[in-house]
Amino acid sequence: MKETGLGEFEEVILLLVGILAEEAYAFRLAEEFESQTKRSVSIGAVHSSLSRLEDKGFLTSEMGASTASRGGRRKRIYSITAAGERALQSAKDFRVSLWSQYPQLSFVGILNQ
Amino acid sequence: MKDFQNINPPRLAVWILRKLLRNDLLEEVEGDLEEKFFSVLSKSNKRKAKLNYWKQVLLYMRPFAIKKTKSNYSKYSIMFIYTIKLAFRNFLKHKSSFLINLGGLSTGLACVIMIYLWVNDELQMDKFHKLDKQLHQVLLNHEESGKLNTQPSTQGILADALESEVPEVLMAVEDTDPTWFGDNFSLENDKKNIKAIGKFSGDQYFEMFSFELLHGDASIVLDDKKSVVISESLARKFYQNPEYAIGETLTWNLLQFNDKVKVTGVFKDLPNNSSESFDFIIPFQNFKDLVGDGMNWGNYNAMTYATLREGTDLASLNERLGPFVKKKAEGSNVNVFMRPYSDQHLYNKYENGKLVGGRIFYVRLFSLIALFILGIACINFMNLSTAKASRRLKEVGVKKAIGADRKLLIFQYLGESIMLSLIALVVALLIVILLLPQFNVITGKYLTLSFDPIALLIMFGITLITGLLSGSYPALYLSSFQPTEILRGKLQSKFGELWIRRGLVVFQFSLSVILIVSVLVVHRQIEFAQTTPLGYERDNVILFPKEGKANDNLDLMLSELRNIPGVAYASASNHKVVQKSGFTTGVEWEGKNPEVETRFENVASYYDFIEAMGFEIVNGRSFSREFNNEGNSVLFNETAIAEMGFTNENAVGRTIKVWGNDVTIIGVVKDFQMQSVHDKVSPVLFRFDPTFLPNMVVKMQEGQEKETLARLNKFYEDFNPGYAFQFEFMDVEYQSLYQAEEKVAYLSKYFAILAILISCLGLFGLTSFTAERRSKEIGIRKILGSGNWRILVLLSTDFTKMVVSAIVIGLPISYFLVRQWLDEFALRIELQFWFFAVAGIAALAIAWLTVGIQTVKVSKINPVDQLRNE
Repeated sequence: MKETGLGEFEEVILLLVGILAEEAYAFRLAEEFESQTKRSVSIGAVHSSLSRLEDKGFLTSEMGASTASRGGRRKRIYSITAAGERALQSAKDFRVSLWSQYPQLSFVGILNQ
Repeated sequence: MKDFQNINPPRLAVWILRKLLRNDLLEEVEGDLEEKFFSVLSKSNKRKAKLNYWKQVLLYMRPFAIKKTKSNYSKYSIMFIYTIKLAFRNFLKHKSSFLINLGGLSTGLACVIMIYLWVNDELQMDKFHKLDKQLHQVLLNHEESGKLNTQPSTQGILADALESEVPEVLMAVEDTDPTWFGDNFSLENDKKNIKAIGKFSGDQYFEMFSFELLHGDASIVLDDKKSVVISESLARKFYQNPEYAIGETLTWNLLQFNDKVKVTGVFKDLPNNSSESFDFIIPFQNFKDLVGDGMNWGNYNAMTYATLREGTDLASLNERLGPFVKKKAEGSNVNVFMRPYSDQHLYNKYENGKLVGGRIFYVRLFSLIALFILGIACINFMNLSTAKASRRLKEVGVKKAIGADRKLLIFQYLGESIMLSLIALVVALLIVILLLPQFNVITGKYLTLSFDPIALLIMFGITLITGLLSGSYPALYLSSFQPTEILRGKLQSKFGELWIRRGLVVFQFSLSVILIVSVLVVHRQIEFAQTTPLGYERDNVILFPKEGKANDNLDLMLSELRNIPGVAYASASNHKVVQKSGFTTGVEWEGKNPEVETRFENVASYYDFIEAMGFEIVNGRSFSREFNNEGNSVLFNETAIAEMGFTNENAVGRTIKVWGNDVTIIGVVKDFQMQSVHDKVSPVLFRFDPTFLPNMVVKMQEGQEKETLARLNKFYEDFNPGYAFQFEFMDVEYQSLYQAEEKVAYLSKYFAILAILISCLGLFGLTSFTAERRSKEIGIRKILGSGNWRILVLLSTDFTKMVVSAIVIGLPISYFLVRQWLDEFALRIELQFWFFAVAGIAALAIAWLTVGIQTVKVSKINPVDQLRNE
């Protein structure tokens, strides 16, 4: 995972950004994270991670249109860059390659117990 | 969503968010958080939503999101951090001066904290009574020989009269002074006989004084005449558990008197901050019965206390009270007045009816000493930091050039000194914790270091003031320079303000000299007081109370005692000689001026008393068994004879009147020092009176005291079963008269050591600084052929001059001070030249030693090392 520079939390956030697409802003991402992982997270933590990912070039963002439900305030919508896609892909490939080397036996061993 | 129109996120949280969050993030974050808020609100309740909002805001405080500190506030916060950082770097860089400063300041602070604890304790003495503001003690001014003599003992009938006749007096209570009965008071039940400190008190005693009763009701415990209230620890001694004491019967014994009483109350052992001390109280009525006819306006046999109506003007009340007794008893010479009860501890010295101080003198003295010591420590700090200023001048110059203004620099240096004093406070507290037990032994107190808010406030206050004080001079001084001048190096010559530093050193050493002289004089005087011949022999004399069978048959007891090998004389008296006890003005002689009252110490004694005490008979004889009726014989000392206008030769055989009875002078005793050497020899009357002789006296032969004491102990067990043989050595009693002086000696010694130590620290710092500044000069001198000795002389001359001028200033002041102190003694040492010479030479030697260590080091350095730099 070293080559991608992605942490576990960052990887999940990146994936969520891809899933939520047009709805990918800090609050929604935090809500989605909580509902998918059953782990609680603060919006600040998500935001901090988003801005770090943006610094790494995996995400871009732009301010969306204003919404009445937020007191007329705009949201920052995030989207994945090509570099971000690549990082996700290589993270996945890395895991798959690791799984392919994983001995089948011990699996059986665990199941048998 | 419409339901929540009126509910908004917590305003304070929003405000904090806006204050701290980066401006460019604010819009989206605020939006997100609001959405979150309403989402939580719709799922649960308002409280949870607000709480969650707070949580979200606080969790946003991450480095990426908060404002970068660039505002006006930050200059100070950054400066503050740097002040701490720089202070620590400076401490580390100049370890020796840091340690000198720390040592000086922390000993100074430790001293101040200890003195604060002591002073505070003194000021709180007797203030704990609930009625403190109304509580007063009644005193009497006796008109004697045209002067007023203030005494606390009053007539036993005064309290009742005051309570019924003076409208301002709400309650008045009489009691006896426990010291009057000494060891002659005891309580017993069928199992035990315990000597304890007891007194007789009026029935409202526990209503007036807030001594806590564990059992019994304060308003009634003393109502029944046959009752006794005992202390918790006495109750434990008799009954193990104080609860069992109530209702039990005890017998009190006082000389030949005794009676059965019932325990009606148990009081908690008296607190340390009470100047009263007693173990049990018996209703005053018993004492009235005991004294009988003696309860009149001419006899002073009780203390009187009164509570006054709130808002009473004491001055005008005292004016009216003055002639209270004179109106009742024709010919009385006493004036009544009151003073606040809690003043008795600190303000108890009267001269000619006027209050002239008392213990408060010591409270003020020690407060002053504390201030002085702290002052010296602060001065050292200033001194060193000013001296080391050259080291930091460049720093100041650069800072100023970059744009630090003067305020910032002052802030920095003050911050540094406050930090140092805070560290010193920690060290000082450690010192105090270490030394407090010893300090308590010396002062006879039970001081503890408590950290209640007030104590903390005062300690931090003192520390802060110390920091500000010691930092102020360098802070103002260093920050005042022009940066260009500093950086061009033009300022070096400006350090001409040497005279300030010199002045400070001179001041410190003057103080040290004064303290050295005081220590010498106080020690010599105490030694003198304890060894000077007093006109009687106090070695191998023991005193013990007359009790048990001795009260029934004194003659038998005395003859038995005399038969014990090793006993030289045995007798009894009312007087311990080392202490003043009773006096009388009832002596009349031919040619006496009726206007003038003369006090005679009233010594009632038995056969052999004068011999046992080793008094010398100048003329005539002492009481003797060969003469049948000695009841009408008296002896006087020389002072008394002179007072009456007789001579030693013509006095013997004269007839005078004592209390109206004709008596014959049978002898004259050589003057002797009664009590301590504070007092002048006063007129003494020796009477022969077997009726009231509470003290037994035994003079043992020299050389076999141990064996004799063992034999006495054995005899006592056989003769007086049930009583323990408790005796006092007269010389020990005599020494204990000087407890106060010994405390002064102790403390002045410690303070002298401290003052010298701190002064030396200061001098040491200054020397090292001078040596450093002149190191190039020394190097060049050495290269040009100057020897080590010449360098030593060169560096010490300056300091020698300072110390010599300190001695010149300090010695006259010290002479004046010790002269005054000695004036309090009737017998005193002569001030000798060598006291002052020793003090001066000691100061000089200490200074040289301090300077010497440093200068020898400098003079030995290879000049190449001194000159190679640059």
